[in-house]
Amino acid sequence: MNMATLVGVLIVVLLPLLPWVFISGSYHKRPGAKRRAGELLRAVLTAEQYVQLIRQGYIDIPSPSDPERVYRVPRSPGQVQVREKGQLTQWLCLQPFEWVPDADLVVIHKLMIEADEETYLQKANSITPIAVSLFNGPV
Amino acid sequence: MGMLRIISNRGDERRLWNEQDALAGDVEALAALREAERIFARERARGATAFRVEPGKPVERLEQFDAQVSQIVMVPRVVGG
Repeated sequence: MNMATLVGVLIVVLLPLLPWVFISGSYHKRPGAKRRAGELLRAVLTAEQYVQLIRQGYIDIPSPSDPERVYRVPRSPGQVQVREKGQLTQWLCLQPFEWVPDADLVVIHKLMIEADEETYLQKANSITPIAVSLFNGPV
Repeated sequence: MGMLRIISNRGDERRLWNEQDALAGDVEALAALREAERIFARERARGATAFRVEPGKPVERLEQFDAQVSQIVMVPRVVGG
């Protein structure tokens, strides 16, 4: 295979992948993005929430509308747990339309839950555990 | 001083303004304020949600740009996963 053929094959194979690279956002995953996201997270969380996130890997955000409900938001991407009276009742899945750093995901959940819980619940997909006792431990 | 932070795939972009200087007629301060307002409107049109985030105060959703707020955070459009 000569050089011209090799270049041609590479163009044919790689060109269709180019839009996907841009759409998925991977092109923008710069190191500075994670640093800035970490700074925003520190600025937005309360001291107690920040300590909980570091120590336990999640933050518990009390529901503004229901004193018995807490949203458990993980540090890394994943589903948010809805806990009522300490028991897991459902999972929620909500994500931005475009990729953002992990720390920004935590900020998004916190702001929406605290300031716009109704919209948050409307937009999130919810999953109710089939066997709740498996996740909550023995009754 | 006010700060507009826009969450995006580049981390968060920041725009600063000084309302007092803008009110006093400082041209650069006025331009910075107008730029923050313009970006706020652009991101809202794209489906972003704005929140007022100030130390010691509950987070509040903002429908319109408010130059007196010390920190505004804009969250991009979200969808159920």
